[in-house]
Amino acid sequence: MKKLLSVLLVALLVAGLMTSALAGTADGKKIALVGKSAGNAFFEIAAAAFKEAGEAEGATIDVVYPEEATADAQIKVLDNLISQQPDAICISANDFNALQAKLEEAMEAGIKVSSFDSAPNPASRQVFVNQAGTVAVGQALIDAVYDLAGGEGQWAILSATSQASNQNAWIAAMEEIAKDEKYAKLELVPIAYGDDEPQKSTDQTQALLDNYPDLKVICAPTTVGIMAAAKLVQDTEGCNVKITGLGLPSEMLEYTGEGKSCPYFYLWDMQLLGKLSAYATIALINGDITGAEGETFTVEGLGDFSITKADDGGTEIVQGLPLQFNQDNIEEMAKLY
Amino acid sequence: MAGKSGRSINNIPESPIKKLIFGWEGILILVFVGVNIFCKWFSEYYNMFNLLRQMPVYLAEVFLMLVMAFILVMGEIDISVGSTVCLAATLACIISNAGAPFPLVILATLAVGTCCGLVNAFILTRFPELPPMIVTLSTQIIFRGIAEIVLGSGGSVSVANTAGFKAISGKIGSVPYILFLVVLLAVVAGIILGRSTFGRKVYAIGTNRLAARYSGVAVEKIRFIIYTLMGTAAGLCALFMVASSYGANTTTGTGFEMDAIAMAVFGGISSTGGKGNMIGGFISAFIIVCLRIGLGQRNVNGQVILLIIGVLLIAAVALPNIFGSLRKAVKK
Repeated sequence: MKKLLSVLLVALLVAGLMTSALAGTADGKKIALVGKSAGNAFFEIAAAAFKEAGEAEGATIDVVYPEEATADAQIKVLDNLISQQPDAICISANDFNALQAKLEEAMEAGIKVSSFDSAPNPASRQVFVNQAGTVAVGQALIDAVYDLAGGEGQWAILSATSQASNQNAWIAAMEEIAKDEKYAKLELVPIAYGDDEPQKSTDQTQALLDNYPDLKVICAPTTVGIMAAAKLVQDTEGCNVKITGLGLPSEMLEYTGEGKSCPYFYLWDMQLLGKLSAYATIALINGDITGAEGETFTVEGLGDFSITKADDGGTEIVQGLPLQFNQDNIEEMAKLY
Repeated sequence: MAGKSGRSINNIPESPIKKLIFGWEGILILVFVGVNIFCKWFSEYYNMFNLLRQMPVYLAEVFLMLVMAFILVMGEIDISVGSTVCLAATLACIISNAGAPFPLVILATLAVGTCCGLVNAFILTRFPELPPMIVTLSTQIIFRGIAEIVLGSGGSVSVANTAGFKAISGKIGSVPYILFLVVLLAVVAGIILGRSTFGRKVYAIGTNRLAARYSGVAVEKIRFIIYTLMGTAAGLCALFMVASSYGANTTTGTGFEMDAIAMAVFGGISSTGGKGNMIGGFISAFIIVCLRIGLGQRNVNGQVILLIIGVLLIAAVALPNIFGSLRKAVKK
């Protein structure tokens, strides 16, 4: 009887060990995901995918937003997180350099630091997951502008805040590519900043329309900006300005397609971005990667990813090319995000 | 004399308003204890070590409250300080990057703040009939505008040599230097406001500016000094803001004027002038800081934290009035 019992117990123990081994690669780990500010639909979708992927691996994911979209507010959030001692922090930075002191403090305290969406400077992070190569996005956007403007004329950029590092990187890429002979007849007017606030973005669009009557295209590489601009232009009778940029299909459904203000726009697969970021963060926690150039890791179902050198001198994992949303796929994609 | 009615409260216990304010500090201490008990219960990470570690970013704003208290007691307001912090922080980074030794950076930052204060002081005393709200609203836009122009595209600057800034954000044990400085300056400001002739004159101005002038108080001179010092305090705040982020950007200091006013008003310093004291402002500053840290440690949504503080503020302003009318009703 005793023997039977001990055999049973051992069997149970082994079964228990096996299930826990099957459960996930990040059991009991705590990861904090820090956004730029609450209410950005783009980030929230990626965050939801991040949370789902992380929790499937057994980790606890806290998504935290600062009270304002400023670096100062994110510093307070990071202070709170360092008190909590999570295993990793994944952050979308409001400022390239300003978080360095705090993120270094976090890393010194043994917390792994990853980033996606908007990177803090190389010294402040171990790895950045890039939604699509900066140049690839810049190329897609400038080609869209070229196409929609008919190869010549004035165009404008409506950005988020003047120090949002992702926005500035794409804008710089566009400006760099636009130096090519092919784009010589395109004239960029001064950049407008809508601060990712719907009202301010609308006001800035109106100002662009008023100040530049010959404007042909507005390119808004921000979800808030493109929606505000597309709505205003569509509601303004007789306005033939075309809108393109980076947007959310569900928000852009009404404005996208032939005869509407936005013929087509771009975005990457945000769910994939969130998911990939979660796996990259877990790989950091488990020591599978350290964020050094040349390292590789595998995500089941997604494939192999390698860590490469980023434009800013740090390292990054590049997810892929941006995706075009147009008349043909907008309705279907709007259901997804 | 007008100054007498606005003088330090303990001396005139028979006045019911004074009693109320005296009572307010008692309430504040209770609230402070209550908030700490609540935070301790609410957050498992709420302890002395983490509190002291997280405090410095918030303490920078307390410098502003110390001088804002004087302005509010005069029955006036300065809403340009957030922008002054931005401009001073921006120039601090630029001066530091130009290779200036750190003591010079400190002096220059304080000087930039003081200059901004001087601009306010000059306009407000030269044209005393202009409302401070409007004048400082204009300078708020101007100072931040200058900072934005200086920062140019990209909108942020970071310091290359962080050694000096790292040094001022240092600690003795686990107590940050800034806490000592805040306490020291609070004591100095408290003594000046509550115990000196200068302070009594400030109350006199707040109670009745005209009466104060007729009784020989150099109203414009005092206003000039205080508005200038407000700028100096903003310079000091800017130094510690740069120390926390090793840089400055166009949003540095946004809303700080309102935080400073909130701390003071919550502390019983009436924005209509003549009432309140530094002890109240000081305790309420720490109530707000502790509450923000405690709630933040459990990742409470930032907007919710602001909402709670907003409710507390309205309560702080409304409660004395409610008590006052109750007392009157009882007397009748």
